[in-house]
Amino acid sequence: MNLLPDFRYARPATLDEAVRLKGAAAGTRFVAGGTDLLVNLRRGLGEPSAVIDLSAVAGLAAVRREGDSLWLGAAVTLADLARHPDIVSDFPALAEAALSVAGPTHRAAATLGGNLCQDTRCMFYNQSEWWRESNGFCLKYQGDKCHVVPKSDRCYATYHGDIAPVLMVLDAEAVIAGPDGVRRVAIASFFREDGAAHLTLGPGEVLAAVVLPPQQDRRAAYAKARIRDAIDFALAGAAAALRRDGPVIGDLRIAITGTNSAPLLVATGDLIGRPWDPDTAAVLAKLLRGKANVLRTTLVGAIYRRRAMQALARRLMDTLWEQET
Amino acid sequence: MSTDTLKRRGIGSVGVRTPLIDGVEKVTGRARYTADLPAPGALCGRLLRSPVPHARILSIDTTEAEALDGVVAVCTGADCKIPFGVLPITENEFPLAREKVRYRGDPVAAVAAVDEATAVRALKLIRVEYEILPAYFDARKAMAPGAEPIHAEKPNNILRQVHNEFGDAEAGFAAADLVREKTYHFAEVNHAHIEPNATLAEYDPQRDHLTIHTTTQVPYYVLLHVAKCLEMPEAHIRVTKPFVGGGFGARTECLHFEIIAALLARKAGGTVRLLQTREETFLAHRGRPDTDVTVKLGMTRDGKLTACHLQATQRGGAYASYGVITILYTGALLHGIYDIPAIKHDGRRVYTNTPPCGAQRGHGTVDPRAAFEALMNEMAAELGLDPFAVRRINLLREIPHVTAYAQRVLSYGLPECLDKVMQASGWAERRGKMPKGRGLGLACSHFVSGTTTPKHWTGEPHATVNLRLDFDGAITVLTGAADIGQGSSTMAAQMVAETLGVDWNRLRVISADSALTPKDNGSYSSRVTFMVGNAAVEAAKDLRRILIAAAARKLEADPADVTCEGEIYRVAGQDRGLPFSEVVKAALIDTGPITVKGTFTSPPEFMGDKRIRGSAIGATMGFCYAAQVVECSVDEITGKVAAHKVWVAVDVGRALNPLAVEGQIQGGVWMGMGQAVSEETHFDQGRMMHANLLDYRVPTMAESPDIAVFIVESIDPNGPFGAKEASEGMLAGFLPALMDAVHEAAGIRPTALPLTPDRIAALLDARP
Repeated sequence: MNLLPDFRYARPATLDEAVRLKGAAAGTRFVAGGTDLLVNLRRGLGEPSAVIDLSAVAGLAAVRREGDSLWLGAAVTLADLARHPDIVSDFPALAEAALSVAGPTHRAAATLGGNLCQDTRCMFYNQSEWWRESNGFCLKYQGDKCHVVPKSDRCYATYHGDIAPVLMVLDAEAVIAGPDGVRRVAIASFFREDGAAHLTLGPGEVLAAVVLPPQQDRRAAYAKARIRDAIDFALAGAAAALRRDGPVIGDLRIAITGTNSAPLLVATGDLIGRPWDPDTAAVLAKLLRGKANVLRTTLVGAIYRRRAMQALARRLMDTLWEQET
Repeated sequence: MSTDTLKRRGIGSVGVRTPLIDGVEKVTGRARYTADLPAPGALCGRLLRSPVPHARILSIDTTEAEALDGVVAVCTGADCKIPFGVLPITENEFPLAREKVRYRGDPVAAVAAVDEATAVRALKLIRVEYEILPAYFDARKAMAPGAEPIHAEKPNNILRQVHNEFGDAEAGFAAADLVREKTYHFAEVNHAHIEPNATLAEYDPQRDHLTIHTTTQVPYYVLLHVAKCLEMPEAHIRVTKPFVGGGFGARTECLHFEIIAALLARKAGGTVRLLQTREETFLAHRGRPDTDVTVKLGMTRDGKLTACHLQATQRGGAYASYGVITILYTGALLHGIYDIPAIKHDGRRVYTNTPPCGAQRGHGTVDPRAAFEALMNEMAAELGLDPFAVRRINLLREIPHVTAYAQRVLSYGLPECLDKVMQASGWAERRGKMPKGRGLGLACSHFVSGTTTPKHWTGEPHATVNLRLDFDGAITVLTGAADIGQGSSTMAAQMVAETLGVDWNRLRVISADSALTPKDNGSYSSRVTFMVGNAAVEAAKDLRRILIAAAARKLEADPADVTCEGEIYRVAGQDRGLPFSEVVKAALIDTGPITVKGTFTSPPEFMGDKRIRGSAIGATMGFCYAAQVVECSVDEITGKVAAHKVWVAVDVGRALNPLAVEGQIQGGVWMGMGQAVSEETHFDQGRMMHANLLDYRVPTMAESPDIAVFIVESIDPNGPFGAKEASEGMLAGFLPALMDAVHEAAGIRPTALPLTPDRIAALLDARP
């Protein structure tokens, strides 16, 4: 439907107030840019009792140095992420990933926090209410059947965010504010592999910031497969951060997105100390295949998405390896 | 712009780059589209659509919905027993389903309520019982023996079969040095016009009058079908077309939502605004059908075609729409571009349980042309011939030319188009020597400049334009032609400005309001410039005659001696003349305000040949011709095909407004690019999976190649100032040109479109 459902609306000025409002009632949602939430709500995906607008929270859109780390407020827009001088110079892969999200008008509104917390997607879920109702709804929302894996008891909707895998390979942490104060977790722990509940945030918690540690001599990059070079979500994406020690891989992080219900780090221990050559590439491909669980959640088939994920990861490695000589 | 500046630059004159007359309104946001029209107190209309693709309706219970507070009217199939359809021979669609639903999304009931929330609640209270029937989402399965008929009158689910043979195809193939046959698959595409469907219907119960503002390309058809379905006198209905955000053929017929809005407004006794979502706009569809094309060509060693046999099977969707014409077009335009001794054609248009296909830019001709040109390129390669050489050896030999299908070709700029793109693309130096992963490809295409046979035979002229002149000296152009962004209002004004020699700013255009403007057959088949343009010229000639006569009276001269230049009327050789305002005053003496009329009618010799069945389709007064070279890259890692540059030359007869012509050509190439690289509909067991602009992948600016346009002017003897069609003929060529470029880039010959990364990756991986 076109109409938004009825909900109460609040626009707190502080994070404490935002947390208090969130905890005050069940079924409350945060909104910042609205590029994910509002589209879904207009399709009948959710009926929040209240929506808390974070756009007026003081300091939430700031980027600042804290010691040798860089703090990114959750309300920093993707457009700002892509052009902030400190990010462009120190974390170009992050700027690149931000620039690969949707189109310019989305990026002007969409925020870092919203991008990380974006809902998982599935071709049986991102449809109108009429469409889903005619299809008996689905396990993710209002139904009890998964149309992707019919006998499944969990939802396989896919996480398609572009920023999370880059933050994961950069060893970034999420700063989470809640009723009991502030806690910090690795980005990987911010997610869980469940299409219907892919965030580990507690009911009263809000993502406040992301902290990027210094990278020393690691170099990172991100690539996503898609049909159109704008607008499209990643059919599969990969981020890599590499430190090359002369002829061998000294340190390596690889994360994938667009394949599973959460962005996932790939265990790369087997690759450390090896030269980047076809044999190592084959090992990496095997690790990726083992980690990814690409199912029929998008209109483009799983075969291609698996192939693209492996091919892009290999190209990323080729590029990073050459850059590090 | 000041009048002086306009005059100096010749803005509005033929051949001068003239900004669209309504362009500023659009780019400043002042233009009002149907959904923007103020209608205080209008009720909100919403539709209940079938959740299943094929079923008998056993019962519909609307009592609870009707009882809901705020609901003013509920309509079902019981409210309209008259079917509609754009072709008088195949009217088989009901605005609200009766007895059966035939695609998932077929409208079943409609509600008008005080607001949207109430309307949505009311829809949930309507109970419909269905008896599910077997459904078919594929032409072959729908045609299989024993399949459930989707329409009782077509037990085999074939709407129309077409079989034609001109010359002796078997003999042609026997005489060839190389014969090849190949099957191509083209995915269904949609127009993806940016403005969603919308209708505002205002009913006056006192006078039984209905006014409809709607997103249409043919207000005349809307009026006809609403009158028919509502069983109202046509005289009681007024249809206006506000600004329209694109059509591309989707709106060349009256659609269900327009009739439903009228039904609701009448039943509610008031005004109903029926806005359609993007999903509903996709469901109304009328796009280019999923098509299998098998093409067989015979060629001599030097590339001369000896015969062509083309078979097309279209998955037409649940209702007839334009289907009979679309399938005829798959054969009609095998003619008129090359000299081919024998042409055989078999076509099948099949009913399926998917949303109805209709007309889309390049109507019916795109997929067969793409398959033909792709095979032509492949055979050229096999024979070691250059694709340009193969086009040139097959050009029509002599102009005028009459095709085997009785089409008359009086202007033919294709040879010059080929020369232009060959040179501009650096073909001779670059083709075959491109770096790895990059390629060039060539193809040609053409399209009609208007169909000469209207669907509703009335005996009336094909186009009529009125010009009004009053004491203020303003000239108002009144045309029924629907400007949907293509620039028809600007074109009509230009015809008048050029013929009368008056100031561009003196003109205004009122278009597409059935209460004010003369009927027009509509904006389809690229007919408007040719037909309405000629009618506008005729009207302007009449007004010129009147003004010259008035000036002659005042100057006491023979009208034959009076000339008009720069709005000054004078006798040749005399210094002083009369300004336009004086002449207008003189012309109005005794007569008062003047309205003149100009008409255009296609002569019968351009209407096909009655002895050739189906030849009314593809009959035209002139073809637009195009040649284009596409440069692309293929990324072996991602399988992605990117078009980087297009050189396109188009014979438009005469570029009345080169600015608008370039825009139309770029738009046509671009739409071909969309179909070639990414656009396709998806159905899963009849469920439309693509009903949004994220999953229906219209290219973005990122995919848009640089398009270099070369205008070729063959000056058609019958077009207004020599003009022909300028927006459809170049579309089809993009597909095969890209396919051939992909072959040079990656050594693969795709046969299924669009060339999405998954399809390309599969072909790359299958290489030996």
